[in-house]
Amino acid sequence: MAQEGQSEGIPEHLQYWSYKFDDSNPFMQIHLDTMFTTILVATLLVLFSKWLGGRLTDGAPTGAQNFMESVVGFVDDTVRDNFPVHNPIIAPLALTVFVFIFLLNCLDILPAFLSGEIAGLFGIEHYRQVPTNDLNTPVAMAICVFLMVLYYEFKLKPMHFCKELLLQPFASLLLEAKNPVVKMLGVALIPLNLILKLVEELAKPLSLSFRLFGNMFAGEVIFLLISFLLLGGGVVGMTAGFFVGIGWSIFHMFIGLLQAFIFMILTVVYLSIAHQPVEH
Amino acid sequence: MSIDLTFIGQIVVFMTLLLLLKKFLYGPLNELMENRSAKIAEGLAAADAGKDAKAKAEAEVAEQLVEARKKAQEILAAAGKRAAEIEEEMTLKARTNATQIVEAAREEIGAEANRARQALRKEVAGLAIAAAERVIDAELDAKRHSKIIDSVVSQGFGNA
Repeated sequence: MAQEGQSEGIPEHLQYWSYKFDDSNPFMQIHLDTMFTTILVATLLVLFSKWLGGRLTDGAPTGAQNFMESVVGFVDDTVRDNFPVHNPIIAPLALTVFVFIFLLNCLDILPAFLSGEIAGLFGIEHYRQVPTNDLNTPVAMAICVFLMVLYYEFKLKPMHFCKELLLQPFASLLLEAKNPVVKMLGVALIPLNLILKLVEELAKPLSLSFRLFGNMFAGEVIFLLISFLLLGGGVVGMTAGFFVGIGWSIFHMFIGLLQAFIFMILTVVYLSIAHQPVEH
Repeated sequence: MSIDLTFIGQIVVFMTLLLLLKKFLYGPLNELMENRSAKIAEGLAAADAGKDAKAKAEAEVAEQLVEARKKAQEILAAAGKRAAEIEEEMTLKARTNATQIVEAAREEIGAEANRARQALRKEVAGLAIAAAERVIDAELDAKRHSKIIDSVVSQGFGNA
């Protein structure tokens, strides 16, 4: 019974609430559920910040301020440990990445069908509640980070970066050689270097986004599996599904926190590599 | 599970959120925390300074106490010395006084004795003359015989 439920259920629940501008071009569509959820979470976060900002005290902090101060302090420490120079945008970026991703991941704890059912009341056919399950969100954040890395690479050490792009890993030693044949070989290897270096650089945003997306998506699929076990398995299946669901919820919350932290720390590390002074 | 316009939208959402959180959450909180740590450092420094000042004051107090004690001892010693001096002076004065008094008394006693002796001598002479008048039953010329009487008297009262 569970098998039957899976075969028709899971793909059904992995549909987005999307609006297509152009049916022939798959790029020209927008996932309204992802957009709505992220904007909602972001708005709540900003409102919370404004509310908190109104009652900040520089005496002994209490409650929400205490909690947020410990989060900010934690992010600050992480940035300070990894960064060779001070850059005022890095810590806010790390904080945003951490808090935003963590909150989005936390939405996974809501019952798997709840958002779909609520959306159904408004006549919406599909609703995916966790935006980090949508590849667009992790990729968007990873691309932002990647663009910042490129920006700082070019801003802080343009010559060094271009040289690295063209001459690493093969050519730099060959070009220094006296023998003209070896030197020519070095020049000939420049395109290969460029390709390798581009792959290396592109692997950063790719791994950054797919790590988050893969973890959250897999978690969602397992939630759906558990829910079908719950719905289709009789008394035994329901009991088992209940406990497995609770266990997986707790574990998935941990994964969500962990992935938010990993995304944050990798953001900081990639940016700190870009800020690393040139060694001669 | 495909990249589409949502991607653009997510970039916009993320960057906007980054700017807003930097302005409203991170900025104020970080400033606050830095202010607080500066304040705490200041407080600790002030406490250290206070401790130093206290130790200094205590040392000063101890020093002053020692000095005061020394001064008091000096004063006591001077007073003792002065008292001894005064005592000695007084004793000396009293002794001189006493000697003077004794001397004066002695002189007076001597004068008095002389005077008494003179008076006695005169009286005894009168008595002797009267007695001789009676004894010899004759009238003696006091002037003619006074020499004899005087010698008798001075013999008679030689030991007086």
